[in-house]
Amino acid sequence: MSVQITTLEELTSPSRAASSSLSIQEYFLNMGPQHPIAHGSLRLLLVLDGEIVREVIPVPGFVHRGIEKMCEHLTCRQIVHLTDRMDYLSALSNNWCLSRTVERAAGIETNERIETVRTIVAELQRVQSHALWWGVLGMDLGALTPFLYAFRDREIISTAFEETIGARLTMNYIQPGGLMFDIHPGFVARVKEVLAHMRPILDEYDALLSGNVILQERLRNVGVLPAEKALAMGCTGPVLRGSGVALDLRKAEPYGVYEKAAFDVVVGTVGDCVRMEEMRQSLGIVEQLIDSIPAGPHMTVKPAAKIKLPAGMHYGQIETPRGILGTLIVSDGKSDKPWRVHFRTPNYNNLWAVTAIAPGCKIADIIAIQASLDLVIPDIDR
Amino acid sequence: MGVVLDKLPGLLEKIPGGGILVAPIDAVINWARLSSLWPLAFGTKCCAIEMLMATGGPHQDLSRFGVEVVRPSPRQADLMVVAGAIVKKTALRMRLLYEQMAEPRYVIATGSCAISGGPFMYNSYTIVRGVDQIVPVDVYVPGCPPRPEAFFWGLLMLQKMIRQGESIRRPGIRRKPVLAALPAGVTVQDIQERMRAPLEEQNVVDVAGAAAEKPWAKKVRQWVKKH
Amino acid sequence: MGEETLIPRVLAAEPSAKVRDDAGGPSVEVAPDRLFGLMQCLRDRPDLAFDMLMAHTAVDWLEQGRFELVYILYSTVHGHGLTVCASVPRDKPVAPTLSGLWPIAHWQEREVFDLMGVLYDGHPDLRRVFLEDDWQGYPLRKDYQDSDMLELPQ
Repeated sequence: MSVQITTLEELTSPSRAASSSLSIQEYFLNMGPQHPIAHGSLRLLLVLDGEIVREVIPVPGFVHRGIEKMCEHLTCRQIVHLTDRMDYLSALSNNWCLSRTVERAAGIETNERIETVRTIVAELQRVQSHALWWGVLGMDLGALTPFLYAFRDREIISTAFEETIGARLTMNYIQPGGLMFDIHPGFVARVKEVLAHMRPILDEYDALLSGNVILQERLRNVGVLPAEKALAMGCTGPVLRGSGVALDLRKAEPYGVYEKAAFDVVVGTVGDCVRMEEMRQSLGIVEQLIDSIPAGPHMTVKPAAKIKLPAGMHYGQIETPRGILGTLIVSDGKSDKPWRVHFRTPNYNNLWAVTAIAPGCKIADIIAIQASLDLVIPDIDR
Repeated sequence: MGVVLDKLPGLLEKIPGGGILVAPIDAVINWARLSSLWPLAFGTKCCAIEMLMATGGPHQDLSRFGVEVVRPSPRQADLMVVAGAIVKKTALRMRLLYEQMAEPRYVIATGSCAISGGPFMYNSYTIVRGVDQIVPVDVYVPGCPPRPEAFFWGLLMLQKMIRQGESIRRPGIRRKPVLAALPAGVTVQDIQERMRAPLEEQNVVDVAGAAAEKPWAKKVRQWVKKH
Repeated sequence: MGEETLIPRVLAAEPSAKVRDDAGGPSVEVAPDRLFGLMQCLRDRPDLAFDMLMAHTAVDWLEQGRFELVYILYSTVHGHGLTVCASVPRDKPVAPTLSGLWPIAHWQEREVFDLMGVLYDGHPDLRRVFLEDDWQGYPLRKDYQDSDMLELPQ
């Protein structure tokens, strides 16, 4: 039986470089947890040969709070606020994934109003999240202006959320059984303002950054991920769709009211940044749904009700702006606290693609690759 | 605290009437420091989006307070904005970053994770319950995440602390401002009279001493020696 | 292809697999020594074609003395999903590695090793991923004791 446990020190020891087959000695460069482009706290160990990167060793764990262990001591409703804090840029989608899993397991029915509002806010958050990705992409590559543009538009969407949901970032809004609060009377008007504002803004984004020849030269043919490798490395979301695989859970296993809205799945050919077009599709979905939110209660179970899950494993998936988030809840059927909760997070599975596409790139390309993967580090670490 | 400023109070005392100059020099130096705080962006989690990125955005503009140049390197920063939860793995690096900052250095702990562990206080096996176990904190800004306006309130409180609370006579000793809501029928003068002596004692902080006493100071020395 | 045809095809590939009905979707359970063979069939046979290993984790059943390894598979070709479970004893938790079949398993198994302490036979680089290399114990086990972990008083 050959189970060998290694440590990071063994991997980075000098004797490893001496025994490598290269005649030139490779050296380690640490892009440590404190770094302007770290997107959080991720440590990347680069094995360099001059300027060319031979290997990338990501070392996560700098924001590992042990959420899965904490969930074993909380009721299902209390876990929702922890899901916000995993991938905070798509907090509503995270809430929805947990709520949907719990509802399917416990047999709780929701109504049309709840599902429509959930779809609308989740798509608005998708636009918000991709806008931040766009701004940070520019900032990482040295263009600081798009960052300000992105945050100007994020504020407009945040204000619309704050009026109804009460929070700007960690929402805790989509609960098992419905929504935390009913929508504000001015919600529809605000969302229409957002739509009217964002449509021409997306063309401005293209004119400013994504259509810029300098940016395109920096990104073209850098870190191309072929389709089979993307599938085998567990990538989902825009990373996978950019490689040419048309997997979008909103079409493959529809939830919410996505079946009622007509939209396209955006697929790239050689790792194009599909997020720009996805923003337009999301705006289209919200436009189709905003005028016809049906009437009804915003919560189908009493807020104080104890939700007991039947014994067994329950798994639910959602398409977040970064990929497929899955929640596995294992319940022993006796208490209202789960026995084990596991989150299949999109960022943990997308991260390791960098080890496959980085070798052969230069250091500056690593930054472009990390920016285009759109990782949120607390989602990796949970 | 710098060659010139260390020797300056001694020189001034020797000149007849030189003691009068200390107060205006204090005022100028403190004004310069509070108007040009350079933050070290130590954001790990959600608070980083609100505290560091959104406050830099155009709707809530951080640069109008002089806090324009956000530096990733601790050697060039003097204000550490801790935005996010700190776990044990990060705490060692964070302590190193704090020690690499040049004095005078300030710390604002934003968000409930940095103040006390936040939502992860119970049943988490890696979280450090409060950044004040690692570094001495000057201002706490509560919220999860705090609004950018709340962060500005904390920043303004820090600026007030710098303006009123430091002197070149006692470098490294900072006096914190006291803000309280007054109950009906009580004036500020009453409180100032009654509280003057106890506040004097409690509200003066020896920052350098507090920094050296933290348990993580010793842990980081051992870790650096090992690596 | 619906659930009705999926399970019979899986059983045809691995007759010793048992069907489970407590997982919300199609699910089978195998013994650990048959696991690698089953996974290879699931990936390679064109009528099954599970090209994505969506998730892999472990559940600690303390009283029953076993770790239950859970693999969630998905096929982009056919659009169906499957959950595969295998149990290893708690005092000798060794499982075969699947990193030769799906590269992402390399890191999913490292996470399970880090948090649960399940060892993977043949894994090229079995190392902790979140916690420090010298962390004592495996936190997600039910009998994990840690004086630093503050418990909420009930």
